[in-house]
Amino acid sequence: MIRYPAIIGVILATATLIEPLPESRVQAARPKEGLAIVVNRDNPIENLSIAELRTIFLGERSHWPNGRRITLVMMEPGQPERNAVLQDVCRLSESDLRRRYLQGLLTGEVLVSPKTLASPVGVRKFVFNVPGAIGYLRPEDVDDSVKVVRIDGHLPADLEYPLKIEERSER
Amino acid sequence: MGFSKEPAVHSAQKRALWVTLAAIVISPSLMRAQSGHTVTVDQATMQALLKRIDQLEVRVQQLEAAQHVPAPQVTVAALQDAKVEARPPLSVAPPTHGPSPQAAQEHEPDTGERAESERMDVSKTLLRIRGFGDVNFHGDNYHPVGGQGDKTAFTLGQLNLFVTSDISDKFKFLGEIVFEAGPDNIYGVSRGTENTFGVDVERYLLTYSHNEYFNLSAGRYHTAIGYYNTAFHHSTWLQTTTGRPLLFEFEDRGGILPIHNIGLEAYGRIPSGSLGLHYVAEVGNGRESRSPLNEEPVQNVVDDSNGKAVNFELFARPIKIPGLQVGFSAYHDKLVPETELLPVGETILAAHAVYSTTNFEWLNEALVVQHTPEGGHTYQTPGWYSQISRRFGQYRPYFRYQYINASPNEPIFPDIGLRSGPSAGIRYDASESVALKLQYDYTSMRNQPAVQGLTGQVGFTF
Repeated sequence: MIRYPAIIGVILATATLIEPLPESRVQAARPKEGLAIVVNRDNPIENLSIAELRTIFLGERSHWPNGRRITLVMMEPGQPERNAVLQDVCRLSESDLRRRYLQGLLTGEVLVSPKTLASPVGVRKFVFNVPGAIGYLRPEDVDDSVKVVRIDGHLPADLEYPLKIEERSER
Repeated sequence: MGFSKEPAVHSAQKRALWVTLAAIVISPSLMRAQSGHTVTVDQATMQALLKRIDQLEVRVQQLEAAQHVPAPQVTVAALQDAKVEARPPLSVAPPTHGPSPQAAQEHEPDTGERAESERMDVSKTLLRIRGFGDVNFHGDNYHPVGGQGDKTAFTLGQLNLFVTSDISDKFKFLGEIVFEAGPDNIYGVSRGTENTFGVDVERYLLTYSHNEYFNLSAGRYHTAIGYYNTAFHHSTWLQTTTGRPLLFEFEDRGGILPIHNIGLEAYGRIPSGSLGLHYVAEVGNGRESRSPLNEEPVQNVVDDSNGKAVNFELFARPIKIPGLQVGFSAYHDKLVPETELLPVGETILAAHAVYSTTNFEWLNEALVVQHTPEGGHTYQTPGWYSQISRRFGQYRPYFRYQYINASPNEPIFPDIGLRSGPSAGIRYDASESVALKLQYDYTSMRNQPAVQGLTGQVGFTF
């Protein structure tokens, strides 16, 4: 008679000790797509390694090989595209990135802070209009007004493409 | 009830308006008729006017279209094709409205001109200002000769206004304006009153940025000796510890290096692939030496000799090991102090190996300062420090050991002697912009009792 309540008690105790899974793990993971790195169409650059991309996004490189000044455009903090770049390219948290840029400006190595825009349309327009601009867009936000750069020789649709992001939920 | 009269009033007003308009339209015709003039328009003129109207309508449409952004619709299939870049145009639906990319690119010069005119607009500021500051509580058992010991005090640190401005696409200004309280300490000689504030322009640089490989700055800069001096500048908040290593103390805080210099500085990358080589080449006035040594040590306006100080630094940041920097520098100047009969050659050789990531920091620097009176003995002052820290969430414990050993007969800074010892502390980042630090220092000195100190600090950026 005492055994069953004891077993139930052990199960309940065990259940309380088990840490609930994060929401992202409970939910079925959405399929992923490549996050395109885009530059102005006049930019002759065709391919960047992920390490080179990191130096650009951290402000360690200031000019393109053609002499144009690099102008980095990022989406606002909290946007999934920005989070993907922070995680896979910069490997920094939001606050660490800000600190890094502040130090870069102080040392003079960073010429300008990244331009921050709210929407993919804004990013696309900015890259379209500024010859030295580089930014990132989901594939469905890309059009022929900007140029997609290969990363480590791969395009966003390739399986080996190193920069991935979960597809938009509304799709 | 009162509102019911309003329609009647409106209709009367409308009638009056129509009558007035008719009078205005008819009256010129009547006047022309009365004056005997008749206006006739031939068919050709009418056609020309209609054609002109058509042209103007087209022009208006073009201007309206130019104000819209290109919003072309894209098909996802465009990027799903791995060979998409091989085909110049993506499989994109044509823009529903707006100019073609080529048309918009034709407007790029306008964008540049607009930016330039905005720069010259005196109603807008080009300055960006960022601030750094710190407040300290410090106590130690140091007993200066003829002074009191065992003192504690709240101390205001440097208030640093860091100013930048993009003057044009190629030119940039950078400055650090520092408000600082307390007397200067130059080679052990105190100058100035204890509690008054002074203002120092610590950096003052106009930089021309040609490309990745060549940048040229003119003005007052931090000499590229080693790593620390050009990594943290006058920001206490950015530093892990409460203060700079003894080796890199500022000239007016008892430091032994020419931290600041006035002149030209060229820097950039060296094409070296994944090795990530960089160079810095500097030529400047060097440090003050003719006047008594407790005068301003940085020659901001007048150089006491025609000879110039030169410095060259080479360092590598291997692209495959983010956070690693290894380098060396060589500095040379000729000093002409009043206390010496002959000029003194000054050479500073420095090397550093630094590994600094978000969570881990290991700074190692060593240098030797050589002073050689002409035709005489060379005095060597070696120094080094090693600093290590690891971040755990918002906490970052750290440890540093430092060492300087100058000869008692050193011709330029005879007061330094031997100083060595550990420092240990912890940094707590209370927010993204505020750091609390607590640090214990133990410094042993030649022929003097060791000094122990404890410092609490709040450092911030704003």
